[in-house]
Amino acid sequence: MDEIMIRAKDLSMMFNLGIDKGFSLKQGFVDLFDPKKKKQDKSKNDFWALQDVSFEVKRGEVIGFVGCNGAGKSTLLKIVAGVYKPTKGTIETFGNVCPMIELGAGFDMDLSASENVYLNGAVMGYSEEFIKSKYQEIVDFSELHDFMDVPVKNFSSGMSARLAFSVATIVDPEILIVDEILSVGDAAFQSKSEEKMLSMINGGTTVLYVSHSVESILKLCTGVIWLDHGHIVKAGEPEEVCREYLASLGQSL
Amino acid sequence: MKSIRNIILSLKKYGFLIKQLVSRDFKVKYKRSVLGVAWSLLYPVLMMAVMAIIFSNVFKFNVPGVNYLVYLLTGLTYFNYFSEASNLSMSSIIANFGLINKVYIPKYIFPLTKCLFVGINFLLTLIPLYVVIFATGTGVNIYHLLLPYSFLCLLMFTLGIGFLLSAVAVFLRDMLYIYGIVLTLWTYLTPIMYDLSMLQNKFFETLLKFNPLYQYINFARTIILYKHCPTVGQFAACFVSAALVLLLGVVVFKKNQDKFVYYI
Repeated sequence: MDEIMIRAKDLSMMFNLGIDKGFSLKQGFVDLFDPKKKKQDKSKNDFWALQDVSFEVKRGEVIGFVGCNGAGKSTLLKIVAGVYKPTKGTIETFGNVCPMIELGAGFDMDLSASENVYLNGAVMGYSEEFIKSKYQEIVDFSELHDFMDVPVKNFSSGMSARLAFSVATIVDPEILIVDEILSVGDAAFQSKSEEKMLSMINGGTTVLYVSHSVESILKLCTGVIWLDHGHIVKAGEPEEVCREYLASLGQSL
Repeated sequence: MKSIRNIILSLKKYGFLIKQLVSRDFKVKYKRSVLGVAWSLLYPVLMMAVMAIIFSNVFKFNVPGVNYLVYLLTGLTYFNYFSEASNLSMSSIIANFGLINKVYIPKYIFPLTKCLFVGINFLLTLIPLYVVIFATGTGVNIYHLLLPYSFLCLLMFTLGIGFLLSAVAVFLRDMLYIYGIVLTLWTYLTPIMYDLSMLQNKFFETLLKFNPLYQYINFARTIILYKHCPTVGQFAACFVSAALVLLLGVVVFKKNQDKFVYYI
């Protein structure tokens, strides 16, 4: 059971906040007469979302990430999922990764629910035969039997989230990345989806889990990493880390 | 050798995704239109009819020794593929940002998907082209079997331009407008409606032969209209131009693809 599934070494991630403005002729012209300002601006815009974050995750571990907004939790998950390439450091994953960072990525609003099951499944990297064989299971789990021919744009947000959750959780991935998505749909579906997550976790999957709900982290995780401003503040036993984290916010367990 | 194996493995792994994205393009494009997919066939036919009427009847263009209608349609079929596929490829990365930012998908899939999607439309437009070839009495010959070679070169060339443009457009949105102008200019610099000999200018004639699209179109015309086998030089010109542009596109795309997420 000591097999390492994820190894992150000195991960650093820099975003340039000014990048959105891009290069425009006007700005270029203005900067021409003020070269000093340009240089200042550039480094001022640098934002380190993560700095020298290292950790290892062994098979079957469920690691929770806590921290305030902007602590770098989602960035970290996206690096593990391969969406971002870290500015510095290395990330190694051993096994197939199922990222549930944002559900329904790749849903096409104009297509029907059943067409979207295939499209979304393909986006998640499933094979055609796999989706075909699991199609009924997906529909059953989402409980959207009567709506499979309806374009997703006519779905309520709860319905499309259900569909997305059902597609995403149909696999048994070796590494599961979850970014606060247990709060999907109505109360009944929420408990059902939580159950599903629990069964996936108990099935020996390695999980990275981000949530603001300390309660659910304590319930699910075997280890917790507390991030703040891109640094690891503390890593270790869930109860201990969560207590300190909450204490820093002026709350108690 | 290893990179070629990687490409094949990757294509195998993502083949289903490519298939799904192409079929999505088809479904979405014709959703809610009465004639649906029939437009894939009808649209180019009608467009070509308009061009044919204008150039052969109004302007009375003619190319000595061959049927002008077939001459024009051959050029149009090839060029329309290039113009539509390269245009769609260019915006494909920007348009699919929602996906790129959330899940890991090799980014080359998006331009590739667009080139394949338009490629299917291209194959459909061959039907009206062949109808005209038969109707005008031009007829077919054994060399028609060589035409797929020019399709392949056209695809490689368009892919290369598509990779290049889609990468550049991420960093420089102005490209979306600039390319519209370039494409219009390119239309007139490609002998689609006219023949190079009409230019009566040796210098321009030579210059325009460096346009790769001319090479692919000329390859097709040699077979369809002049009914002989293209020369070795023609084979080489088609392949070399396509391979070079594809290589350039792949290199630029690969070098920049990790930076896309910050700029979209």
